[in-house]
Amino acid sequence: SGELYCSLPNPRNVHFESTNMKNILHWSAPESAGDGVLYNVKYSVYGVGKWIRKPECRNINRTWCDLSSETADYEEQYYASVKAFLNGKCSDWMETTRFNPLTDTKIGPPTVNISSTEKSILITLTAPEKWKRSPDEESVSLLQVYPGLRYNVSVLNKKTKKRWFFSISNNTLVVPWLEPGTAYCVSAQIHVTTPLLHSGFSKEYCTATLKDKTA
Amino acid sequence: EDARLPPPQNISILSTNMRHFLTWSPVTIQGETVRYSVEFQGEYEREYANESWIPIGECSLITATVCNITEDISATVAYSLRVRADGGARRSEWGTLKGFFNRNTTSLTPPLMKVTADGYHLLVELEDMGPAFQFCVLYWKKGEESRMQQKMVKEVSSTVHLDTMEAGREYCVKAQTYVDTINRSSSFSQAQCVRAQGDRSVWL
Amino acid sequence: SEIRSSFTAIKANIQARDPVRTLSILSHPHSLHRVQSSDKCCIIHKVFNFYVDKVFKHCQTEDTYVNRKISSIANSFLSIKRNLEQCHIQNKCLCGQESTEKFKQILANYEGLNVTSAAMKSLGELDILLDWVEKSR
Repeated sequence: SGELYCSLPNPRNVHFESTNMKNILHWSAPESAGDGVLYNVKYSVYGVGKWIRKPECRNINRTWCDLSSETADYEEQYYASVKAFLNGKCSDWMETTRFNPLTDTKIGPPTVNISSTEKSILITLTAPEKWKRSPDEESVSLLQVYPGLRYNVSVLNKKTKKRWFFSISNNTLVVPWLEPGTAYCVSAQIHVTTPLLHSGFSKEYCTATLKDKTA
Repeated sequence: EDARLPPPQNISILSTNMRHFLTWSPVTIQGETVRYSVEFQGEYEREYANESWIPIGECSLITATVCNITEDISATVAYSLRVRADGGARRSEWGTLKGFFNRNTTSLTPPLMKVTADGYHLLVELEDMGPAFQFCVLYWKKGEESRMQQKMVKEVSSTVHLDTMEAGREYCVKAQTYVDTINRSSSFSQAQCVRAQGDRSVWL
Repeated sequence: SEIRSSFTAIKANIQARDPVRTLSILSHPHSLHRVQSSDKCCIIHKVFNFYVDKVFKHCQTEDTYVNRKISSIANSFLSIKRNLEQCHIQNKCLCGQESTEKFKQILANYEGLNVTSAAMKSLGELDILLDWVEKSR
């Protein structure tokens, strides 16, 4: 039956890397396998009886495979598996641990928009969107996925070097009664309490309050 | 058979701010190092798991007479605890804590707090007391104690913005801890007062 | 969140002890996520009882750290079960047709395996339960 003789060393460290539910399967090449190794990938929904091959990841030489589409339902959990082939030999199927997109994804920082008046700054935050199959597919904000999502906002007074923190659940914040003609830098982080997840802080965005006209 | 070691005595719990320690009096034998092992039993084990006991790895065969049991007392139920001594080739019976320990009896102290003003902004920094803690912060214009405002704060060891202040006014702040897993609060800290930056008319 | 952090600490260890990929106790063939909101309290009550009465006692391992975390989860479940009993007594947690059917399916899934495998699989699915409970809070 042409069954290949599976004595090739196994792919290593087969695992999902996920950000905002863009779920990529990664692995390392078998030890000392050299060049020319090809791979097949399959996945399964936990609790459902069959493994499903990923055609776009058949006989590939790269060591990753995008399974975002196949693992898009974050109310399910998944396994994925990789097999290596070289010179007529193959390895065993090597599986991931059970992957839960809801708890095992990393959350990206929010986007931050700021504008200023003479005495205040307006901060507008946008949570990242969940990965989607195509640009014209309807967007789903992570706010809908994680109802308990909050923002930690850091405001740095560049003159006094003092940094304040705000914790808000809605996506706009007005910081009033600031010093005119002063630079303020803002960055923000997403924080989810259940499950416990938080993003890194965003890049810092700076603006200056307008100069005091009466001075 | 040699006489058994006497079991540890004066077994008690010290519990403050959700950190729980089991302590006992030392058992002494001439010329021997005595080591102790601690086990715990939750209400689940008593009622559903044949009264089984669970060893605490970090407090197995230790020479100290104190064991940090915080990580294992992680539910609001009644726990039993016991200690035994080993010395030379001899071992004691288990000494068991009298009664049960429930973490909802922990003593809660007010949080350390630093209140500052930065221009017209009232700021507070609270100590990190662990993930179980939130802080209820009250603040008011001095002299207007009847119009206190409240804010629940979870962020710790960073300067949290409370509110903006009226120019030149003095504001006071006090805080208490709140632990929702046991639904209890500490008493309030001493109030700290700061004054907002002077007249705002310069900016109007 | 204490249950969640205790479970996260042992999730990989527990799920690795469950080789059966093709069966689930909680999520197939019927997903918890399809339960009507009116029945949620009742299902949560029944499922918490199920874990306390049937599951945890069969989850002993050779690893004392894992056993300590299982004890932590079990005692937290017991504490919540007590609170839920109050709701049940005050008729705030009524069981409709759907929850009865759903829970029957969970028991059938459980009894389809030998008790230790079923218990370990159920423990490994705690995040499925927590995801659903926390979503419906």
